[in-house]
Amino acid sequence: MQAVEYFEVECPEPLGAEYYKQITNDVLLDHNLIRTIQKLHIYVDPGVPIFVAVGVLKKISSMVRVQDFAAVNPLEGKIMLVLANETYLAPMLKIFWTRFGQEHVEQADRFTVILRSVAIGAKEVEDIVVADPSESIYKDMIYAFKCIAPEGFRIRRERYFKDKFFFVSSEDTLAGDVDALLKSKFEMMGETMP
Amino acid sequence: MILVPVTYRGGIYRHSEVMDLIEDIGGYIVQKHVIAQEVVLLCFVPQDDIEILRRMAKPLGGEVTDSPLVGTEIAIVIPSLEIHHLPHPACDIAEYVRRLGAKSNMVGLARGVGKRIAALNDEERDVINEHDIAVYVLGNFEKCIEHKMPILRRGIDVPIVLCGAPTKEALQRIVDPPVDGYVGNVGRFMHRTKESDELAKLDEIISEITRVLEKKRVEIANDPLSVAPARLMDLINENVPKIHEVTSPTPLTVQMSGLRVKLPYDVFAGDIRKIEIEDNITIGNVAQVTPSRMRDYILLKILPFSETNVVV
Repeated sequence: MQAVEYFEVECPEPLGAEYYKQITNDVLLDHNLIRTIQKLHIYVDPGVPIFVAVGVLKKISSMVRVQDFAAVNPLEGKIMLVLANETYLAPMLKIFWTRFGQEHVEQADRFTVILRSVAIGAKEVEDIVVADPSESIYKDMIYAFKCIAPEGFRIRRERYFKDKFFFVSSEDTLAGDVDALLKSKFEMMGETMP
Repeated sequence: MILVPVTYRGGIYRHSEVMDLIEDIGGYIVQKHVIAQEVVLLCFVPQDDIEILRRMAKPLGGEVTDSPLVGTEIAIVIPSLEIHHLPHPACDIAEYVRRLGAKSNMVGLARGVGKRIAALNDEERDVINEHDIAVYVLGNFEKCIEHKMPILRRGIDVPIVLCGAPTKEALQRIVDPPVDGYVGNVGRFMHRTKESDELAKLDEIISEITRVLEKKRVEIANDPLSVAPARLMDLINENVPKIHEVTSPTPLTVQMSGLRVKLPYDVFAGDIRKIEIEDNITIGNVAQVTPSRMRDYILLKILPFSETNVVV
């Protein structure tokens, strides 16, 4: 977790905290989320029982554009796109169909798309935004914390703000003072709860 | 005749001669694995004749090693079959005991998770009790283990080895009444065991299981079984041809004092009871043939000498 500016696991049992630090590290690495987290504070108390994770995310500015995964070749009366991978093929085709109409978009094979008689140039096609990775990061983060949290903690509450998030889960009904607990954990990281 | 569990590892070349020798000296082959050009035989060999086997194995490039877990069936009990406990560490432990000759079954509890809601149902209890030993792989917190263990061990009468993240001393302190074995510093983790200290922990689990099983073996030796489980395996192999059509890796699973037969109870139990061992003594005379809680299998529990007055 060297890439993370602040990372602490708080637990009444020191050995348990050590294990949870390792689990968090492994899960976030496996889910490729470590680079998106700037600060993370985890609090586990099996006595209550409760699991709390609060954190600050790094800014994800990069949008996925056509040029990131395809070579755009202008030809006479058409533009040919040669894809390096299929990851963003479906959202790209959807955008093309809406923008140019299905009759102007031809998919020759899995890795080749041809745009016929479209009114824009190759440079503009290259700049079309296909996906925004920050949209799915919330879902990925919640899934990761569901793996990290102790098993059986099925009552949960999570919120995602612009660059901050929290995840609380327990085996029992969440107590009313959870907000105060979350506030204190944000303060421990030197942040304010949004 | 005392039978000792051993593993033979060698090349595929002339391995049939090794198999013949094991049978000629009165031993039994429990499992045979052919992996590419290598053959692994898990077997029971008469204690006095191990040297004969070693001498024969040497020119063939084979190796004979002691495998105390051969002929045992071990239950790896985990709170659930969720990503929290699978594939690590439960699968790693199950695979490790398999490598040393045991037959391991993973028992993921339906409601073993959490602290307040953890429970063990009667089917799980009975399935665990059909094994020679149960290895409980629990989590990272002392408080949870202390709270859950009395619930999860209720009705279990086979020896238990408890694994958890707290130290061995802490586990011994919090579990009351004590279980048979403890391995500390093996809790819930989400990566494969490949570092040397993690592999050392797996070895520690094996040595704890071996120690507990050894104690059980001594108990069995005090009142010996009427027939060796491996001998029953051979008899069923000879007399019940349908067993050769079972696709399970171990159609007959040898246990320390019994045998699991992976054939339907209703169809085959009667025939198995009638199989003659020798001198008009049948399997039904020296063993209880009962339905297993695992699918519709048959479970044979061999009776001790004190109950049957015969040793065949």
